[in-house]
Amino acid sequence: MTALSHEQIAAAVRSVCPEVGDQRASNGRPFLHVPAAAVADVARCLRDDPALRFDALMDLTAVDLLQFPYTPPRDDIAVVYLLFSYAHRHKITLEVFAPRQACAVPSVAAVWPAAIYFEREVFDLFGVTFTGHPQLRRILMPDDWQGHPLRKDYLYPADYHGVPHLRDGQSFSTSPPRAEGTS
Amino acid sequence: MTGLGHAVDTLAAWLAGGPPGWFAVTLAVLAVWVAPLLLLVFPVAAFGQILERKIAAAIQRRKGPNSAGLDGPLRLVFRAVLCLLPRERQDRAFAAFCNLVPVRTALLWSRRLGLGQFVADGIKMLGKEDIVPRGADGAVFRFAPYLALVGAFLPWCVLPFAQHLVMLETEVSALFVLATSGLVVVALKMAGWGSGNKWSLLGGMRAVAQLVSYEVPIGLAVGGVVLWCGTMDLHAIVGQQYAPGVFTLLGWNVCQGPFLLLLLLVFFVAGLAECQRSPFDMAEAESELVSGFNTEYSGLRWGMFALAEYTEMLLIGALVATLFLGGYQSPIGEQWLLLLPTWLETLLHALILGAKTLVVFLLMMWIRWTLPRFRVDQVMRLAWLVLVPLALLSLLGIAVTLLVAGGTTEGMAYGRLAARPRPDLSWLPWLLLWIVPVLAAVVLVRAANARYGGRHPALRRLTGEGA
Amino acid sequence: MTVEASTPAGERMTLNMGPHHPATHGVLRIVVESDGEVVARCTPDHGYLHRSIEKIGECVEWPMFVPYTDRIDYVCAMNANLAYCVAVERLLASDPATTVVVPRRAECIRVLVAELNRISSHLIAVGAMAMDVGAYTPFLHGIAQREAVNDIFEKLCGQRLTYNYVTIGGVAFDLHDGAVAEIAAFLDQFEREMQRFNRLVTTNTIFRDRCAGLAVVDAAQAIAWGLVGPNLRGSGVDFDLRRDESYGIYGELDVRVPKGEAFAGRHGRQGDAYDRYVVRLLEIQESVRLCRAVLQLLPPAADKPADPLGGHQAEVSKILRKVPKGAVHVRTEAPRGEMGYWIVSDGGKVPFRVRCRTGSFTAAGMFQHVMRGIFLADVVAVIGSFDVVVPEIDR
Repeated sequence: MTALSHEQIAAAVRSVCPEVGDQRASNGRPFLHVPAAAVADVARCLRDDPALRFDALMDLTAVDLLQFPYTPPRDDIAVVYLLFSYAHRHKITLEVFAPRQACAVPSVAAVWPAAIYFEREVFDLFGVTFTGHPQLRRILMPDDWQGHPLRKDYLYPADYHGVPHLRDGQSFSTSPPRAEGTS
Repeated sequence: MTGLGHAVDTLAAWLAGGPPGWFAVTLAVLAVWVAPLLLLVFPVAAFGQILERKIAAAIQRRKGPNSAGLDGPLRLVFRAVLCLLPRERQDRAFAAFCNLVPVRTALLWSRRLGLGQFVADGIKMLGKEDIVPRGADGAVFRFAPYLALVGAFLPWCVLPFAQHLVMLETEVSALFVLATSGLVVVALKMAGWGSGNKWSLLGGMRAVAQLVSYEVPIGLAVGGVVLWCGTMDLHAIVGQQYAPGVFTLLGWNVCQGPFLLLLLLVFFVAGLAECQRSPFDMAEAESELVSGFNTEYSGLRWGMFALAEYTEMLLIGALVATLFLGGYQSPIGEQWLLLLPTWLETLLHALILGAKTLVVFLLMMWIRWTLPRFRVDQVMRLAWLVLVPLALLSLLGIAVTLLVAGGTTEGMAYGRLAARPRPDLSWLPWLLLWIVPVLAAVVLVRAANARYGGRHPALRRLTGEGA
Repeated sequence: MTVEASTPAGERMTLNMGPHHPATHGVLRIVVESDGEVVARCTPDHGYLHRSIEKIGECVEWPMFVPYTDRIDYVCAMNANLAYCVAVERLLASDPATTVVVPRRAECIRVLVAELNRISSHLIAVGAMAMDVGAYTPFLHGIAQREAVNDIFEKLCGQRLTYNYVTIGGVAFDLHDGAVAEIAAFLDQFEREMQRFNRLVTTNTIFRDRCAGLAVVDAAQAIAWGLVGPNLRGSGVDFDLRRDESYGIYGELDVRVPKGEAFAGRHGRQGDAYDRYVVRLLEIQESVRLCRAVLQLLPPAADKPADPLGGHQAEVSKILRKVPKGAVHVRTEAPRGEMGYWIVSDGGKVPFRVRCRTGSFTAAGMFQHVMRGIFLADVVAVIGSFDVVVPEIDR
């Protein structure tokens, strides 16, 4: 069991998967951008490489970057893979940008079965299609729900099967209030 | 025919005003046999329910029913009796009556013990809507509870409550009990199938599988007693267990060697399974099948199933007492009872049987509120791989004992014989009879412990044994 | 034990277990395709308790989300509070200007309440598991002890279920008068009580045989399927975030980590339902020990006993109006395992994204895999052994 340092991990990852993009540290953890098409292969490398051995998927989630203060602004959905190695006790974060309009990322369910549920959730709430997923359907919302609620451009529906969501006089703003003064 | 049979004849003749026809006989049977039985067993079973709730509460360290007293029912009685008086006069009289010190104390305790709870429950149950689900097979669904009740009550007809209190004397009463109590299986299956609910269906299937399997060890256990006593007549079996002197206890079947003791265990465990009590309550397993075969029942029909269950529990208790624990006989000195007037003797005998039944009944409750439930396969394995072999072993042991001890085996050959004297066991075979099997059992248990025993140290730490 | 379903698919019976079923711990629904008593296939259906908590997180200010974390897992709300607060504090620490230092007394109280809540949460878990297997009594004995913990919490923060006690930067109130003696007395009687509990049900042969060898998950599977917490340790993986990625003052405490060792004996296998169950009981013992240790470490109260933060609550509120930009992932050990917060801040007073990964979610993901070929009666035992709490799955 040898935990690698951030640079070592990044170097090792780069050597097995040359397609991995730029690397930065975020809160003391290596943070790698991976092109969407390559993510399944990268995942398999990361799991199987004896020095890396990322055998666990701690979490798989996404962030809609629509209103995030990037310069220049991005219109992507970032799928985030938080990996951990029980064998070596080190961590890595992968980030995949999927364009909002054609939101498809290869599934890693075959690499870590835990991803079956995580990807279903991301599909449900963000509308990211994971290609190759064994049972990609909604998990938290009803099957006939319209839209993907955690997208920043999500419009609250007025009703569900004729049952209004609001009482008289109430109203939704179309998107959550943002703090003023964000750059 | 004892007293009751005679009473039926007399009543029927009186009703018909001449030689009785079938209608008069039916009426007489209803009046003399069925009505008292129902009047006796219904309240006892209902009381069993409140007893169970109190016992469960005690085991779980809570209070249980503690508010509903007998005040309300008593007030109703007052109103009924004094119905001609104006309401204020009734109330005043009631208040004055309740103020009497013994009455006040009794009512206080009835509240504390929640004695009025079963009255309240009963009224609530009667008031509930009788729902038949749309997908149900109406006739089957409606009829099943009655059949369960019939199956639970019929065996009581042949049970000797006292020397002079047997409703139906027959030479094959042991067989009668086995046969009639089997009706319950059909009722549960009908309930499960008729409900039109998959959970009920599963419960019904489980009930059938379980009850049919456990009929076998029960039958073998009864068979062992029959073999030992040489008779199938329950009353004769009770008579067989008579012993003179003070220690009548020694005459009981349970004291006749380890094989009969073993049979008692087999009978009791199989009996638990027969009345679907925990740990064998798979058919209504609440946490798995919601409520199994009685999921869809409500109100009175559900109540009938509950009543049938408690009646069956009482029946198993009474059968354990009759077959193994000397029936209605007193454990210390039977002869002095026979000197009493007949009515007093009958009363005392019935009470003694009741006390023995109650002990078994309480034991069943204790088990229910302590043990987890078996799984389906484990229940079946227990029946066929443990209880049946044990029962067969006991049967063999009893047969050998009878041969060795010089008892006759005519009973086996000819079915029912008049009760023959018990085999006379002199001290040497008696000693062998007890010591050899007990030693064998001890050796077996120790060997099993040596092989499989030894709890994990972590478990010993958890239970506070280690450290 | 596992049995292969033999009936062709068309003749199987589809059973709808839940969302209203006595043993599905809330509103979990499992569609079971059964071949008589044997489960041929099962499909969990989630979302009946979905309250869009992650969406709410993007709409309310940083400290306002704390009460919502109570609702993520109301069986152990203290731990849920703690997880979020630790994560936000870690995010604040990424900029020295906004770093919040939690007073030591508050740190100790946090560990104390977290461990007490772990005890009461595990009591529900083991009690409910026994109840699912058909023993009603242990559950009520466990509940009685949980009530005692709730009494302590009620005096502490006025709540019995959703505490909203741990705040960003500390805790909401100092310990009430006599709390230390009260907690110590509770721990003493609780240990004796647990021994009785264990003698009643844990070592019961029927219970043990029901759970032995049931739903076995080996270590590699447990890791790959993302099991965490007691479920992971039940499979024999020696990993506990309190020890291996310590937060708060856990680093100063000697956290011992129990793991599954085929406790059931002859029929048992490492990682079966019984192991998961026993690991929880061992963790209860550990938590009792940790509580006692923390009581020893507890520094005297601050000058203003009503505010263990020493008056920096207002300062924290000011800092929380402008949280540094960035993302943070912090995981803490809740009773149901890793509770990991992935928080993205865009530099404002409202989080940009709050993601909460819970132990029950991945455990529920494993149901389809482990429930194939077991008996119908064991479905509820398996649910109980993984200790899923539905609000944690659905959020």
